[in-house]
Amino acid sequence: MSTITAKTQKLSIVQAVTDGLRTVMKEQEEVLVLGEDVGKNGGVFRATEGLQEQFGPDRVIDTPLSESGIVGTAIGLAINGFLPVVEMQFLGFIYPAYEQIMTHATRIRMRTLSHFHVPLVIRAPYGAGVKAPEIHSDSVEALFTHMPGIKVVCPSNPYDAKGLLIASIDDPDPVLFLEPMRSYRAFKDEVPTDRYTVEIGKASLVEEGTDLTLIAWGAMVPLAVKAAQKVREQNIHCDVLDLRTLYPLDKEMIAESVQKTGRAVIVHEAHATSGLGTDIIALIQDTSFLYLKSPIQRVTGFDVPVPFYTLEQHYLPNEDQIIEAIHKAIQF
Amino acid sequence: MEVKLHDIGEGMTEGEILTYFVKVGDQVLPDQPLVEVQTDKMTAELPSPTAGTVKEILVTEGTNVEVGTTLLIIESSGTKPVQQKIENTSMNRNIMTIKKVDRENGPKRLILAAPYTRKIARELGIDIEDIHGTGPAGRVTDEDVYRYVNQPEPVEENKNDIQPTIAEVKEIPFNGRRKQIASLMSKSLYTIPHVTHFEEVDMTNLLDSKKQLNEAGVNISVAAFFIKAIQLSLAKYPIFNSVLDEEKGVIKLKKEYNIGIAVDAKEGLIVPVIRHVEQKTLSVIHAEMKDYIDKAQNNTLTKHDISDGTFTISNVGPLGGIGATPIINYPQTALIAFHKTKKKPVVVNDEIVIRSIMNLSMSFDHRVADGATAVGFTNYFVQLLEQPTRMLLELR
Repeated sequence: MSTITAKTQKLSIVQAVTDGLRTVMKEQEEVLVLGEDVGKNGGVFRATEGLQEQFGPDRVIDTPLSESGIVGTAIGLAINGFLPVVEMQFLGFIYPAYEQIMTHATRIRMRTLSHFHVPLVIRAPYGAGVKAPEIHSDSVEALFTHMPGIKVVCPSNPYDAKGLLIASIDDPDPVLFLEPMRSYRAFKDEVPTDRYTVEIGKASLVEEGTDLTLIAWGAMVPLAVKAAQKVREQNIHCDVLDLRTLYPLDKEMIAESVQKTGRAVIVHEAHATSGLGTDIIALIQDTSFLYLKSPIQRVTGFDVPVPFYTLEQHYLPNEDQIIEAIHKAIQF
Repeated sequence: MEVKLHDIGEGMTEGEILTYFVKVGDQVLPDQPLVEVQTDKMTAELPSPTAGTVKEILVTEGTNVEVGTTLLIIESSGTKPVQQKIENTSMNRNIMTIKKVDRENGPKRLILAAPYTRKIARELGIDIEDIHGTGPAGRVTDEDVYRYVNQPEPVEENKNDIQPTIAEVKEIPFNGRRKQIASLMSKSLYTIPHVTHFEEVDMTNLLDSKKQLNEAGVNISVAAFFIKAIQLSLAKYPIFNSVLDEEKGVIKLKKEYNIGIAVDAKEGLIVPVIRHVEQKTLSVIHAEMKDYIDKAQNNTLTKHDISDGTFTISNVGPLGGIGATPIINYPQTALIAFHKTKKKPVVVNDEIVIRSIMNLSMSFDHRVADGATAVGFTNYFVQLLEQPTRMLLELR
């Protein structure tokens, strides 16, 4: 993390994203923003609002409705010295671009023996809880954490959003930058006005405890913190880890915490099967098996497509489920 | 042909017949499993030594039989394949032996335990399979491991471990007085639900009175005051001067007040009894007590001297200690221990002053009396000691 001046402003996550983009665009002309409606319209969630006015249509580019084309173009730009930041309107819209990402973006460094690399950032709002239509609420980070060559980053708060976004733009390789849609305007934090970075690959310990490790990211972090605060009244003290980067995982911090507490509960809103939770369980058993006092618990979405908004709340993990899982692990 | 339970290669002498795989009339082939046998260490199947028909089953399932017992009879079909039988048997022996070895190296039994519990056991050098689990579904818990570690090791292992140089363990015979004390204590503690409560006594006034008497040439020990005050308190709270007769379903309140004094004699704890304290003055109590203590030290107490106590005091004050959980002198109902008297700053009339304070610990039988009564009893006792002149009112 670089030095931060005392000057801060209160921003929401989406505002912190805009601020991060503006900060970098002011400094580096190579940074381009591409996406559907990112220019004149300021983006579907207003994350790029005002940027076209400030930096012009050559740097903030409204593209046709073609995710494959956007990412494909951005890969070309990136190889040739630009620093493109692509906006997917929703993570669920990324599927047409999946081929570009998986067959090209993640592989060009290896294919060219590092002669070329792809300094590309793909921003994508993800997750349920805002009563959006079908496809708009997907939480499919696991499709990307499976593939070496692309980093997956997911901030849970405004400070990390700006710091991680700038770190992602600085990163010489492709980064999928997931923005928790539900937390976009849920709360504000003090965010430094200057440029700073939050290191990719480092989790953050947001609550400290001795009895259990709660692992979450993105929109699940505030939920996990609330659950941890509730069970503290029952004298159960949780470490709450905000992973911040989903690939590569902060193996050291996960292992260190689980070895301290002996118990773990993983919370993610993605489907359980082949979700990232499965990998974290494997990681814990690889690093910390002999420290486990009880089976690792998971609180996840169900193995169904995210339902329409009347059933959305039943799909999403909630505080009670997390507390129940904590009790299950403690009382094993 | 008789099929016998044979030694399946581990020097077994008997086994339990678990299940027959065949019934009378069945056709069997060589090596076909006939019966499952449970030995001390394993479960094994006995194969048929020959081809034929099961003619008779002699031993029922669930019975224990010795090696050599005929289990069933097979009527051979055609010629006996003698040579093959021998081969089979020896082959089976080998299989059994291998199985047995595997068992010994492998898990002795299935153990449920969290990885962390297993880690603790491993670090402590314990085979987790030796531990009896008390958790859900018989799971071995961390506590089970620690409990297992803290239990004394079996004697025979000790024998091997101890080096000759440190083998000179001094043995104290556990008999006579020590053994008797032990059995009485165990009986008391196992029979009586003990409750102990603690109280503080301001001894300053009593010590002043004792000093005044001293100056007048009369020497009366503090313990004599205790004994008298106890008797007076017992008169007020007779429940503590009683014996519970569970068989008859009655609590017998004793009319006489025979106060036992626990004496730490050379040979161990002994309790001479001052009889009819209610009829005796402080000086008589003092004199008798002195006499008894001398006798106890010289081991000349008679059976009469130590019989018929109705209440016991233990004056450990001269030795020290601030509290204890005394064991009641069975079958009595209560016992009070007096601890060291110390000068301490205490608050009197909102001022800190130095007073001589003593702690006492009272154990009582919770079947017979309740805490509130016991507190009432000690409160009254404390009053008598704190205001010794009050005792005058009660003296006859």
